[in-house]
Amino acid sequence: MHDRKRTPALTAMALALCALAAGNVLGEQPYRERYPDAKIDPAKGVEGDVGFSDTIQYWRTEADLERNAGLADKPAEQWKLNWKHMDLDRIDLHPGHLAVDEGAALVKKLAARDPAFLTCLGEGSAEIKGKAAAYPKFDVALGRILTVEGRIEQCAKSVLGEDLPQGKPPNTKISVYFKSLSAGVPTKVDIGNTKVMEAYRRGEQSFYVRTGQLNMACASCHVPGSIMGHKLRGETPTTPFGDTAHYPTYRTPVGALESLQERFARCHNQMRTQPLKPGDPAYTDLEVFMTVLTNGYPISVPSAR
Amino acid sequence: MKRTLRMLAAVLMGLTFAGTAGAQGAAAPQTQKAPPDYSAFPCLSYTQPCGKVATRPPVSKALDGPLNGNAEKGKQLAQARNRGNCLACHVIPGGSQPGTRGLDLSHFGSSGRSDAEAYAMVWDMRTINPETLMPPFGTNEILNEQELRDVVAYLLSFR
Ligand code: HEC
Ligand code: HEC
Repeated sequence: MHDRKRTPALTAMALALCALAAGNVLGEQPYRERYPDAKIDPAKGVEGDVGFSDTIQYWRTEADLERNAGLADKPAEQWKLNWKHMDLDRIDLHPGHLAVDEGAALVKKLAARDPAFLTCLGEGSAEIKGKAAAYPKFDVALGRILTVEGRIEQCAKSVLGEDLPQGKPPNTKISVYFKSLSAGVPTKVDIGNTKVMEAYRRGEQSFYVRTGQLNMACASCHVPGSIMGHKLRGETPTTPFGDTAHYPTYRTPVGALESLQERFARCHNQMRTQPLKPGDPAYTDLEVFMTVLTNGYPISVPSAR
Repeated sequence: MKRTLRMLAAVLMGLTFAGTAGAQGAAAPQTQKAPPDYSAFPCLSYTQPCGKVATRPPVSKALDGPLNGNAEKGKQLAQARNRGNCLACHVIPGGSQPGTRGLDLSHFGSSGRSDAEAYAMVWDMRTINPETLMPPFGTNEILNEQELRDVVAYLLSFR
């Protein structure tokens, strides 16, 4: 601004740009359109759906699901079950169970090479039962947020020097196994942790910002007043509450497992937005946001969708 | 209930194998396609260039000359999922599985809109409703100039 020779037009433009940047929450961010904020209260966890989509009354408990099973046959109302009726199927024939066995075998094999692999997963103990429900969490020693898949990748690398990238079948299978050992345990992301809440806020920003060629936000399809509950050709987008409980899930139409972050990428493709790789920090923050919206809801892995 | 669950499980098992076969088919070279590149538009990355791309501001686009749209071509574009995909949100005549969020456009040609008004709406609906859910088809180059004219001619043919 001290350059006197600058033309007035350029100076005006620079000033306008400064004003734009200053008006933004994150100073260095480019101008982005946003979908109006739905004002979700993270402290309410999954119960935040009350007064939001209000569909939780149909899928809160197994008894609610049994009582409202009839909605599954009504095309205009099926979305209200949030697809949770699929979770009632807990018998052994379920294809997701194969992934549990494969994941267990993988863990056994890796722990045979070095038992520290298992104690890394269990953060100091070989007992990993119930522990997946507390993810994503902030790892103080590493200084970053880890999801279940991020923990698996980090342990394989640090203990065995092996690459188990997030979003690839070996990692996802171990994640299914790890999370299945928390089946029925309520999701409990620690929102008392400052770092977790910082990630939540970044994920929240990402949820409302419009991206891609279609200029849509996640919120354009997943909050009340948007496309949520409306037919989008063959599909109907549902509430974002409670979703993370059944991930990674077995996708029946394609016969493959899918991690939560692979699902983000699939929605991004629909929005004609450049998808990111599973494990990308922006996806990890989005996973924190969405998992807080599942807090209190029991893990339901293995699952099929 | 339990019975239907068992049947469902059996169906799921069947699909597992169908799915495996499908996956093998997809690996064949002739069906492999490079994933589309949307990096010219805003993305969520904290580090990649698309993470710094700004939203394109709304554009009020005036129709230049007569519409000269081909309604027959417009019909294809409006229905194709990878092009206009207007059907994702709107009811349009003859379309299957219409969306229910946008307005019913079945009689749009009788709504009294001029060519220029309809054209400007499809070019960028944000000029009329800043919070619209409808993508800016012209501004974001989802449809090119002629394609947009074709779609508008098709819309205006609904009486
Ligand atoms: C164009 C509409 C649209 C947009 C935009 C969109 N989604 Fe989706 N999403 C859907 C549909 C349709 C489904 C499948 C039905 C359902 O479960 O909601 C879905 C499903 C999901 C699921 C799985 C839910 C489950 O129960 O298994 C998650 C998670 C999800 N979306 C997250 C996101 C995120 C995060 C974004 C933003 C990056 C996003 N979506 C943007 C349409 C959309
Ligand atoms: C993602 C959903 C979506 C898609 C896709 C979409 N629209 Fe729309 N459209 C809407 C909504 C919602 C409205 C209602 C006005 C508003 O909210 O801005 C609308 C309104 C309109 C109107 C104004 C109707 C009136 O009488 O005022 C026209 C014309 C229109 N759309 C044409 C199209 C065409 C043509 C396409 C495809 C090239 C298309 N739309 C694709 C969501 C969509």
